Amino acid sequence: MVREKCVVLENKKVAPGHFVLTCASRAISKNARPGQFAQILCEESTDPLLPRPFSFLTAAQNHFSVLYHVVGKGTGSLAQKKKGDFLWVLGPLGNGFTLGRETFDEGRRTKDEGRGTAQTVSSIVHRSSSIVLVGGGVGIPPLYHLAQLLVKKMKPENIHVFLGARDKSLLLCEKEFKKLGAELHLATDDGSKGKKGFVTGILEEFIQGRQKTVVSSQEKQKAYPSTVYRLLSTKIYACGPTPMLKAISLVSQKYEVPCEVSVEVPMACGFGACIGCAIKVRSQKTEDRRQKLQKNLSSDVCHLSSEHRYAIACTEGPVFQAKDILWK
Amino acid sequence: MEINLETKIGKLKLKNPVLVASGTFGYAKEFEPLMDLKRLGGIVTKTLTVKPRLGNPPPRIVETPSGLLNAIGLQNVGVDAFVKEKLPYLKKLKVPIIASVMGYSAEEFVRCVDTLEKAGGIDGFELNLSCPNVPYGSKSRFGSSFAKASEDASAHAVRMFAHDERLIEEVVSAARKWTAKTLIAKLGPDVSDIGKMAQAAEAAGADAVSLINTFIAMVIDVKSRRPVLANKTGGLSGPCIRPIAVAMTWEAAKNVKIPVIGIGGIMNARDALEFLIAGASAIQVGTANFINPSASTEIVRGIGDFMKKEKIKNLKEIIGSLKDS
Repeated sequence: MVREKCVVLENKKVAPGHFVLTCASRAISKNARPGQFAQILCEESTDPLLPRPFSFLTAAQNHFSVLYHVVGKGTGSLAQKKKGDFLWVLGPLGNGFTLGRETFDEGRRTKDEGRGTAQTVSSIVHRSSSIVLVGGGVGIPPLYHLAQLLVKKMKPENIHVFLGARDKSLLLCEKEFKKLGAELHLATDDGSKGKKGFVTGILEEFIQGRQKTVVSSQEKQKAYPSTVYRLLSTKIYACGPTPMLKAISLVSQKYEVPCEVSVEVPMACGFGACIGCAIKVRSQKTEDRRQKLQKNLSSDVCHLSSEHRYAIACTEGPVFQAKDILWK
Repeated sequence: MEINLETKIGKLKLKNPVLVASGTFGYAKEFEPLMDLKRLGGIVTKTLTVKPRLGNPPPRIVETPSGLLNAIGLQNVGVDAFVKEKLPYLKKLKVPIIASVMGYSAEEFVRCVDTLEKAGGIDGFELNLSCPNVPYGSKSRFGSSFAKASEDASAHAVRMFAHDERLIEEVVSAARKWTAKTLIAKLGPDVSDIGKMAQAAEAAGADAVSLINTFIAMVIDVKSRRPVLANKTGGLSGPCIRPIAVAMTWEAAKNVKIPVIGIGGIMNARDALEFLIAGASAIQVGTANFINPSASTEIVRGIGDFMKKEKIKNLKEIIGSLKDS
């Protein structure tokens, strides 16, 4: 985490009301992981007062970019910035998406769990394992950041990208995902591109379809339990408006697919000082929490007896395991 | 030119008048990568309560014109966990540590002070008498103090200790018996006469008063017609409250002999100087920490620069130097 005055390299309109801002900073960009974010002070004034948080869209060696939607005073003045202007940026902040072993080390994991059949399972899993990215609106940029990393580790056709928007002009990063070779699944509210309706609808159809395949191949090979197979076969990463994340979370739980979501909540400082960006999560076991408290200062929480607690999105998140969040 | 920025709050000698305000600086460690903590005059911790507190449900914050409205609800680890997990780090900093404590009764305040006194490593206490975001007044949940005051003040229910001179006196005098260290009473702005409230704290034995805490305020979503914050109201801070805070600091400083610590929307050295001139012996930086984590130390430097430029050797020449006659 560093705070730097960064020079603007580019500030380009990419869709109605949407811009991509590119800034130079080696210290911030070289450590930025998918799902992490930066706090940008849009104006050195008292109104707008607070910096605004933005997930990274890209992070190269010496520069990073964010994709933002002009919604108010802060983003409004950000849209006025030109090449050569300076902005105070604090980042990278928060915890990004986790790329667990179940995603990339299938062979090893299966070996741990069921010795003899390791080879077979591994190869089957390899063929059919996939990553599902689900994004809506300005939730799409961190998923593109993630996809850039994923294509280096797996076949791009196994990356399924689900994008939802009001109309086709707001399907952000569509071309960029296509360039990476990912499989695109689109939905728009007005049906101007892809399927008419919400992205969660086409997501559920897709997951359902995959699970049918799993079951049929399982009948042929009864060597391993379905739960293990399911766990290995698909993982969802999602970012977007809260109602969308809630719906995706329900789908993931219904079909027992692991799911990580990056949440968007009102935020002030971005580094755990104000504890304003609270999100209601399931309370972990006392012992787990104590360990976490020792390791990480940010889990300042508690009522050990309570079934829920308020996690701080900026330091514990913004990426959470979907099953941990208690949605309204 | 040698510049002397020292100031005294009770028995506590500070190397400069810039403190960081409670609830805006976590437990200091959050700021370590972003600034030099050793350059601070002192650190006021996030408010501690006897038991850990979960805090209020979200949304907890919303930005307002030149301000920030918050209703965190004193989420904190509790005083015991603080001693175990946070205090060892703070002790190592070699910066005066002022523990902000809060309770629902004088007894709870005392229990916090007592625990921290026994733990050692605390240089002073700030009694948070003025948090606007926690529910008071229910007899069943809280101690005797509020139940009594609510009955007496039947017409207008008392929302916090800082709203009632008797409650201020009760808590301050109780805490006074348990510590010889610098004791600061943090007052709230939503009162008819801040001078009287400051006098109540002084009479009860406080070494200083700090003011102001946030204003009770509200933002409404006009479409849904609901308050934006889950807590309905919050505490307003930031530059929008600064001129009111300056006036209240001036008013309080005229009415008491003990030092006043000025708080309210201080963003830079110029803002800090206003409070000092109005009569504050020290100041606290709050909301600015969220916008520029090193604002406080930049203010220390800025005050020094101003003094050099104006050829002022000692901070004492600035404190209370307002030409108001």
